[in-house]
Amino acid sequence: MDPTSRPTVVIDNGTGYSKMGFAGNVEPCFIQPTVVALNDSYLNQTRASSNMANQYSAGVMADLDFFIGDDALLRSRASNTYTLSHPINHGQVEDWDAMERYWQHCIFAYLRCDPEDHYFLLTESPLTAPENREYMGEIMFETFNVPGLYIGVNSVLALAAGCSTSKCDLTGVVVDVGEGATRVVPVAEGYVIGSCIKSIPIAGKDVTLFIQELMRERGEKMPPEDSFEAARKVKEMYCYTSSDIVKEFTKHDKEPAKYIKQWRGIRLKTGAPYTCDVGYERFLGPEVLFSPEIYTSDYITPLPALVDKCIQSAPIDTRRALYKNIVLSGGSTMFKDFHRRLQRDVKKIVDARVQAATALHGGDIKAKPVEVNVVSHPIQRFAVWFGGSVLASTPEFFAACHTKAEYEEHGASICRVNPVFKGMF
Amino acid sequence: MNGFPFSAESGEIQLLEMIEWQVYHSSFVDEEGITKACGCPLLPLKSKKKGPAPVLEQGKTDIIDEAITFFRANVFFRNFDIKNPADKLLIYLTYHINLSLKRLEGCRTLAEGTKAVINLGSENVTIPGEPGFPFTALFHPPQSQNEAELLRDYLKHIREETSGRLLSVAYRPNGTPNKWWLAFAKRKFMNLPLN
Repeated sequence: MDPTSRPTVVIDNGTGYSKMGFAGNVEPCFIQPTVVALNDSYLNQTRASSNMANQYSAGVMADLDFFIGDDALLRSRASNTYTLSHPINHGQVEDWDAMERYWQHCIFAYLRCDPEDHYFLLTESPLTAPENREYMGEIMFETFNVPGLYIGVNSVLALAAGCSTSKCDLTGVVVDVGEGATRVVPVAEGYVIGSCIKSIPIAGKDVTLFIQELMRERGEKMPPEDSFEAARKVKEMYCYTSSDIVKEFTKHDKEPAKYIKQWRGIRLKTGAPYTCDVGYERFLGPEVLFSPEIYTSDYITPLPALVDKCIQSAPIDTRRALYKNIVLSGGSTMFKDFHRRLQRDVKKIVDARVQAATALHGGDIKAKPVEVNVVSHPIQRFAVWFGGSVLASTPEFFAACHTKAEYEEHGASICRVNPVFKGMF
Repeated sequence: MNGFPFSAESGEIQLLEMIEWQVYHSSFVDEEGITKACGCPLLPLKSKKKGPAPVLEQGKTDIIDEAITFFRANVFFRNFDIKNPADKLLIYLTYHINLSLKRLEGCRTLAEGTKAVINLGSENVTIPGEPGFPFTALFHPPQSQNEAELLRDYLKHIREETSGRLLSVAYRPNGTPNKWWLAFAKRKFMNLPLN
């Protein structure tokens, strides 16, 4: 059957989580941690110790004996035979064998589709080496025999997520706060301005660690082996962004019943329930992104200052357009009022600069005020996946993909270039 | 933005990058009529005890109230920019509150806490220029014996007053410790040792 009549498979592999599903849907079918649990015991057996039958079955079974995602985390905790490996670090694939296995399970075990019947859309970070795209292409075309492949840059897809039929703006700054790293990427007309990309080592994992530290300092009764998971759930359920820390502390003191929440968890090992109070970490967690020095002394630039620095380093004619379209993406931007706080802080910096410039001219020349707009929408968490889904639903998508015929004709090097197509205009 | 940054780790004032500092500053910017000792303004306090500090009417906020309100936020920061001399006193008080909380750590009742705080108050108060004073870069050593004694008395007075007010927030009305405050005993303001 014609693959172009079937929905494209969209897989967004991030450092922490992978989102997979079919194009045309509003949200991904599966969101799984990007982790593979491999059974290493077969590799350590020597030739002499095992007999021929064992060796043969070990060789056949070893390849298939692995788990991915949440299953992998559960198995590795339950027994020692499985070792966890994270194929993606800081947005780059480092272990291609593990990545291939990951995709294998995604396609056959989770999505349960035949890769020969669907086009594929994969994502990558900006500034990845072209060789990585070649490897991706090789794995997809050789191992899985896909009919067509498109590798999109995740920042451009995040911008495409904000597109509607009336307006599509592929110019903007994407603030992607994920689990492993935070990046601020300016995009102009669909092309990433590589030299202006700024990244922060603080991301979702650090917010969770900070919350875990605060709760432990207070002496909350959390079992130590579950404390990271519990802190993560507390972060996702109860955290919000505040406008002023001191005012929040006062609010918490005045009305404890309204602000202090209870977290009820079950200890994995024993099955015994426990409760903790959740108080000021509700607003101190997200504050780490706006004042990193409360968490670490290695890094002190707040996120709004970094967004401003990034835009100021971009070409001068793009700056106003970039300020007007600051798009959020990634799970850690889901805190309540995150966009408002970011907008307020960036606007403060920008207004101070405009004022200084006006003062320098003695008030004669009034600079036109710069409009700062932080865009937030309900599918921020998987904005990249959604952008891929939107893009892959347009008819022009199939023409922009690399097909199997091209791959066989020219080789893996065709995957190095993936055109930016303005299919939605 | 016109103050210069102060970081305790270096011990001297460095010109760190001029970014928007997030710490909370004192609102006592008006220096009219305030006597200074060693660079430290002797701000008025709402104290009932006798001491060298000028008296402020009840109902107004004084520097101690400010220090207690800002403590839980400021304790996380490691870099401070000083906008006016009152900030120096604020930093000193924040450190003192941290020290007092550490002493209150094991005290399960208000009575024990009060005893610990009285013990802290009876210890010798160091002034700039003496070993053991935590912020050597903030203040300059005293120029005369009078100045030294004035500062020593003021610091003793303000420390007692601060510890007293701290007890009223660190313990609940029924005398049990308030964990939302005592958790901060484990924090180290500016990474300074709390002994």
